Amino acid sequence: MVNYIFDGTFDGLMTVIYVSYYNHQVPNDILSENSYQKNFLGDDIYISTDINKSNKVQNAIKNKISKEALKNIYYVYLSELESSYMLIYKYVRLGFKIGRKINYFLQNDIVNDVIKLSQRINHEAYKMIELIRFKEIKNGLFYAKIHPDYNVLPLIVPHFAERFQDQYFVIHDVKRNLSAVYDKKSWIITDISPENTLITKEEEDFENLWKIYHKNISIEERKNLRLQRQHMPKKYWDILIEKQ
Amino acid sequence: MELYDKIRILADAAKYDVSCSSSGSNRENKNGGIGNASFYGICHSWSDDGRCISLLKILFTNICIYNCSYCVNRCSNDIERALFTPDELADLTINFYRRNYIEGLFLSSAVYKSPDYTMELLIKTVKKLREDYNFNGYIHLKAIPGADINLIRLAGLYADRMSVNIELPSEKSLKLLAPQKTKESIIKPMSFIHNQLLEKSDSKKLMRYSDKFVPAGQTTQLIIGATPESDRTILKLSENLYKLYSLKRVYYSAYIPVSNGNNISGVTSPPLLREHRLYQADWLLRYYNFTADELLNEKNPNFNISLDPKVDWALKNLSLFPVEVNTADYNTLLRVPGIGVRTAKRIISARKASSLSYDSLKKLGVVLKRAKYFITCNGKYYGGCEIETNKIKNKLLPKSNVLEGQLSIFDSFYKTENNLPIIV
Repeated sequence: MVNYIFDGTFDGLMTVIYVSYYNHQVPNDILSENSYQKNFLGDDIYISTDINKSNKVQNAIKNKISKEALKNIYYVYLSELESSYMLIYKYVRLGFKIGRKINYFLQNDIVNDVIKLSQRINHEAYKMIELIRFKEIKNGLFYAKIHPDYNVLPLIVPHFAERFQDQYFVIHDVKRNLSAVYDKKSWIITDISPENTLITKEEEDFENLWKIYHKNISIEERKNLRLQRQHMPKKYWDILIEKQ
Repeated sequence: MELYDKIRILADAAKYDVSCSSSGSNRENKNGGIGNASFYGICHSWSDDGRCISLLKILFTNICIYNCSYCVNRCSNDIERALFTPDELADLTINFYRRNYIEGLFLSSAVYKSPDYTMELLIKTVKKLREDYNFNGYIHLKAIPGADINLIRLAGLYADRMSVNIELPSEKSLKLLAPQKTKESIIKPMSFIHNQLLEKSDSKKLMRYSDKFVPAGQTTQLIIGATPESDRTILKLSENLYKLYSLKRVYYSAYIPVSNGNNISGVTSPPLLREHRLYQADWLLRYYNFTADELLNEKNPNFNISLDPKVDWALKNLSLFPVEVNTADYNTLLRVPGIGVRTAKRIISARKASSLSYDSLKKLGVVLKRAKYFITCNGKYYGGCEIETNKIKNKLLPKSNVLEGQLSIFDSFYKTENNLPIIV
């Protein structure tokens, strides 16, 4: 009955998997140090993150299972659910046994849970790509606020960095206080966020133009607010100009 | 006139064009420019009517020399008129795009002064976007019927997708409601675009870098319910458009009474459910390998309003069912009500690992509520009734007596059914 504790990073989680295999020791649970409370029943082992070990595990997953499996694992990790760490562990174990064909085993609960959860993260990342709204806060600097259920920021930045190559932007996850910053060359994710997010007069004009457009493109005879809410859930309305 | 008013008037005038897709093109951003196109398309908002907003869908102008009686912009209609400049519209597109409101521009127009003159204005706008702003996002352009073929060719080099709206499903209706348009003025640009696409795909085999000509192909729109054509006429037309001109999509637009023109058959509210059935059937043509003749025939030229076209077809062809989910091939699975393209693929892939149990079908996304009457799983039938048309039909039809007390969800369903235009 051993619990592994790690620093909460993806590399940390991969290190846990390495150590567990190396020690032939199946964990009772895997916990991140942020949420961990000492448990008197089992032995808790703290695993310090080791990039080399993490890379070895990631390469093994890519080669012995598949790239898609590694992608699923990363997405499930971004769910930030405590239970996701053990799920990943079980999925990797199963993957090393079955290999490349693992995702055919849709009837297996572990595989099914991983794929479903990974799809949920993917879905929210896609929702963010759709629904993010940038505001110009300083001449040439665009700012967007998000608060997704899952930590999808790393999944969505590449999309915008590719698309807005000629534009400085910041995407701020207010829930996790993380900011993705792009400087027309590359992007990073930091915990420093812009202090002043007040908008310019010109910005206000464009927001109003968008609201007018949004209102007038709708056909009164087809009004269907329920369908609108299905695609544009209420929990995101506070970031949507057209819903303010 | 203020920009506010122009947007208000010209968005309002563009809303009856139902096309909203921004898919089919994977134009890349280049030289540090702005924008790219996602192959699968991205919606950015949904309007109050629940329709996706992906592109800035707007008219260049609603000042029209034509007088088509189904159209809100006809010249005899007393409404506010407005006209953009290419600069205004390009600037607006870029600024909306930078804020992630839109995927690009869908530019259409009333026929202003002449078809050629209008087409030139549209080209000026998109040329500005592509060349001055280095914009690589999605552009859908309307080919103005009657415009010179050389202008259509030029427009096609800037656009990702082009469309010529047929609007009325028969020549007779066209003569009646849009006497200034001819069948030829619609078919000519459509077949021209098609030939250009064929030519480009041939030259691509020789040269890797040939100019892109409407990489996302062409689409069209048909208005449903303003004229008396049957569903069968409409679906056969679509089938031919897919076959002859390789159209990417045919859009169907339930006619919304915007006119008190005498020639329109007495429509009081849009036939939305009929439009929905046509979309379902259109899907069956494009992704499920059905033919129009399988779905409708001369005896039954219109869709059953209370059953979706796939269920309706299955009930008429019960001799082909039930199919065994563990052995049926992909195309057979696709024809089972309750199994869609994704589910069929999942079934095929899960079968490679192990035989499927009935309980696991739900996990794979099978809608058992419908599918159970049409499948067996390891030889066992789970439908719970005899495999007989009327018995299954009874189970699948919405129960009207149950609904009376809780009409909220199905309210519009019944309203629409009553309001379907009478077909004469």
